[in-house]
Amino acid sequence: MKFPSPSSAEAVIAVSGLSRHFGSKAALDDVSVFVPRGSVLGLVGENGAGKTTLIKHLLGALKAQAGGVRVFGLDPVLNPVGVLGRVGYLSERRDLPGWMRVDEFMRYTQAFYPRWDEHYAGQLLEQFQLDPAQKLKTLSQGQQAKIGLLTSLAYRPELLILDEPSSGLDPVVRRDILEAIIRMVAEEGRTVLFSSHLLDEVERVADHVVMLQRGRVVLNGRTEEVRRSHILAVLAFAEPPATAPVLAGAHAVAGYGSEWRVLFGGSRLELEAAAALVGARVVEERTPTLDEILVARAGGKGS
Amino acid sequence: MNVGRLAWPTPTGAMLWEIWGRHKLNLCWQGIALATSVCLVHWKEQGAPKDVAPLLVLFSSLCFLGAYLSLLACFGYIEVDAWGVRLSFPGRLLLKPVSTARLVLVPMFFGGLVIVTSFAVWTELVLRHLGNIAALDRLWISAVLLSFFWWMQVLAWGLPLVKGRMLVVGVLALIHFLVWRLPQMPRTALSGWQWPILAASLASAVPAAWLGLKLMRQGRWEGPLRISRLWSRLRFARARGRRRRFGSAFGAQFWLEWRRQGWLLPGISGGMALLMVPCILIGFKLVGVGTGPSETNLRAELILPLLLLPLVISVLLGSVLAKFDRLHATDELPIYLAVRPMTNGGFVMAKLAMALATSALTWLITVAAFFCLALLGKGTLFSKAGLVTPYGPVAFMTGCVPVLLLLVIWTWINLVAGIGAGLTGRAWIGGAYMFSRVVLLDALFVLAGSAMENVNFRATLLHWLPGILLVCLAAKLGVSVAAFVGGLRRNAITASGAGWIIGGWLGCGLLLAGYAGFVCHAINQRGLWIWVALAGFLMLPLANLAIAPLALAWNRHR
Amino acid sequence: MQLRISVQDGAPIYQQIVEQVKYLVAAGRLKPGEDVPPIRVLAEQLRINPNTVARAYLELEREGLVTMRQGFGTTVAQVKSLLPRREKLRLLAEPADLLLTHARHLNVGLEDVIKLLRERDAAMLSESCK
Repeated sequence: MKFPSPSSAEAVIAVSGLSRHFGSKAALDDVSVFVPRGSVLGLVGENGAGKTTLIKHLLGALKAQAGGVRVFGLDPVLNPVGVLGRVGYLSERRDLPGWMRVDEFMRYTQAFYPRWDEHYAGQLLEQFQLDPAQKLKTLSQGQQAKIGLLTSLAYRPELLILDEPSSGLDPVVRRDILEAIIRMVAEEGRTVLFSSHLLDEVERVADHVVMLQRGRVVLNGRTEEVRRSHILAVLAFAEPPATAPVLAGAHAVAGYGSEWRVLFGGSRLELEAAAALVGARVVEERTPTLDEILVARAGGKGS
Repeated sequence: MNVGRLAWPTPTGAMLWEIWGRHKLNLCWQGIALATSVCLVHWKEQGAPKDVAPLLVLFSSLCFLGAYLSLLACFGYIEVDAWGVRLSFPGRLLLKPVSTARLVLVPMFFGGLVIVTSFAVWTELVLRHLGNIAALDRLWISAVLLSFFWWMQVLAWGLPLVKGRMLVVGVLALIHFLVWRLPQMPRTALSGWQWPILAASLASAVPAAWLGLKLMRQGRWEGPLRISRLWSRLRFARARGRRRRFGSAFGAQFWLEWRRQGWLLPGISGGMALLMVPCILIGFKLVGVGTGPSETNLRAELILPLLLLPLVISVLLGSVLAKFDRLHATDELPIYLAVRPMTNGGFVMAKLAMALATSALTWLITVAAFFCLALLGKGTLFSKAGLVTPYGPVAFMTGCVPVLLLLVIWTWINLVAGIGAGLTGRAWIGGAYMFSRVVLLDALFVLAGSAMENVNFRATLLHWLPGILLVCLAAKLGVSVAAFVGGLRRNAITASGAGWIIGGWLGCGLLLAGYAGFVCHAINQRGLWIWVALAGFLMLPLANLAIAPLALAWNRHR
Repeated sequence: MQLRISVQDGAPIYQQIVEQVKYLVAAGRLKPGEDVPPIRVLAEQLRINPNTVARAYLELEREGLVTMRQGFGTTVAQVKSLLPRREKLRLLAEPADLLLTHARHLNVGLEDVIKLLRERDAAMLSESCK
């Protein structure tokens, strides 16, 4: 399997042409993602866009039907021990063994990883304010996320994969988790891949952003470049159009009367050209946030 | 889009429609079981061959039991979700604007109706032909079943958090069993009171259920019980003193398997052996059965069931062992296990080790129960041992050791028999495997039976048997080698894991062959030895265990 | 050093850090020779990617505002204790644009705006004297 990428030698995650079908539905369609060492990748998309499916392929829980997946240069299906020993994973559904106590779960996980740092684990336990005597099934949702994160961070994995780490959590817990992640990123050579719906978190923390829509990669690049490749502009029409104007390259068009707001994918020159074609001029513009880009692209209005 | 209309648009109708919708498939199976039983019984009545008749009776009885037990579950609101099996009233119904009385009466009344009607139908069509049940008896049994069903519901709804619920169910079943046999028992103080007792049981069940549900609705059962929290703290405090790390990943996985499933076999089998035997003895003493010499006979008769108990229960538990979390809703590998850096072979080895430890513990408990039984009555242990064999008590004790080892191995074989099929995580494979095993066993029984009676058949069988056995052994070795090679290539199993499995197979096989040789020499049947040894090697699981890591890989990487 | 990062802003995060540090130095809240928080600490505090902070610090070093030394952390540069006048005026350009836009919108002339500025300055002076 060829993995053509400029930095493939250094790529911690190399997904190339991955496709996956569940019955007739295509969950992933020709997805290619490369994550270099030491970077933070944010995976965004609507519910059901294929984020969890992609993550499961990285862990070997799903076998690639077409295309290839390599983590640390190894196939996670053929070499689960080699890959999983260096990966920390926090699942979206926090599937934990409810009958275990917190300390039992930590002891159990510790046995699998020779690089477990007991001192660090104790620090995290104190910082997250978890009671080691409590059973996992009596923990609240935030506490479950915290213990899941603790047992993924304590052995200092080279790659941390987080599936919706902040889902369903209050702002205080979210802050704790984000701080723990950033502390880990600040250490040499750690890579993080996380999927999230909280796009302001993704903008703050992610170096690269990959947006999935219906199983396809629609955006892939550095966070600022992705933002700067879009323009949120207000177009003024000489004559109010009867229906919503259609612009080539616009992802969303909304408004009323003679002023319409447009989220455009392209450079300013292209925007002016497209606007001129429909008889409008640009009166206001700014760089949109990732949130606005995602909603606009997901809405699917325009082209 | 037309959403559709409920046939009976009242809360009662909605509740019944939900139960019907949830258990549609189950009721389908009921119909099939009934039809099968009717056909079998008809065949028996029309004149089936003599030796097939008991099998037909057995099969029909099993159909009845299976169908009836699942019917009991239908109206009990047993639900399975992400956290496991929930045997309590579903919370979503408690939030509806419906009175507690209605919530209680609908499943109890309609459930009871279905239970009684179903029993009447089964009796009329099937059970009548299997045994003699008088009309009055039918009413009595229906009433006992109804009482048992209602009290099961009371238990499920009124005590949702009680941990020893299985024990309570067992006690409930035992009480109802005794009540059922009340008319048959010799005259005691309780005779003549049977109907009032049953009536009292039925009458108190409904208010008890109502009270339990009312308390649940008021949130009395929210959160862990104080006792449970206290117990958890005590265990944590005790563990603090000996907080040690697991030596290896294998040790941690073994601990997990032991905590989850390890206690099942010793608990059930050993518990039954240690508790039920004295209970039955005391019960019989109370009712005045078996004094004097018949007492010794009685105890001797209990020995065989005691020995068979672990073996039978291990067969039943075999399919449970393949699961990692027996209360997990699906058969998929739980995520906290799937992301551990452990080979599939490692998981399998932990299960095998746990099964061995479990068998050993169970037999230790059974031997202890055995001793208790032997201690009762006159004479010392030694004198009783001397009664069993002419070689003296010491020889008896030493002779027991290899037998015990073989029994442990046999139980272990039963436990791990379904592991290859169960670990695939596909329920239909497990079911198909179990079905094929039952068919195979039946076929063997039929063959053996025919061989006993028909001399010609026996001669032909003995002529072909050696070839058949050798072919089977060759096939077993071939499949195992292929599975091991495939597993090693795909990193599903390490070389040391494969070594342990092969070594275990050879070691146990040699142990069995050695003991068989000794026994055959003692009873002067030297020719038989080679066939017993061969059969031993065939019975010990090798291909099954070789396939297991690949099966788990198929489950883990979907 | 207290910074505020807004994701809603059009500007990239590292640029916001650079601008705010420049402002703090100009306002005298960051004295020359004072230590600036290490990259990890600032990243944790602001909950942003440490690479972004590193980039901001590199930019500041390039412009001569801070000096980064291996093992001793990052300090505000001694030499350029004050920003050149044109840098300061550049920093003021944006709020000035905002004020002028408002004034134009409300139809207030430039002379009135200048008078207002003098009044507000006098008021602030008397406030700080108290």
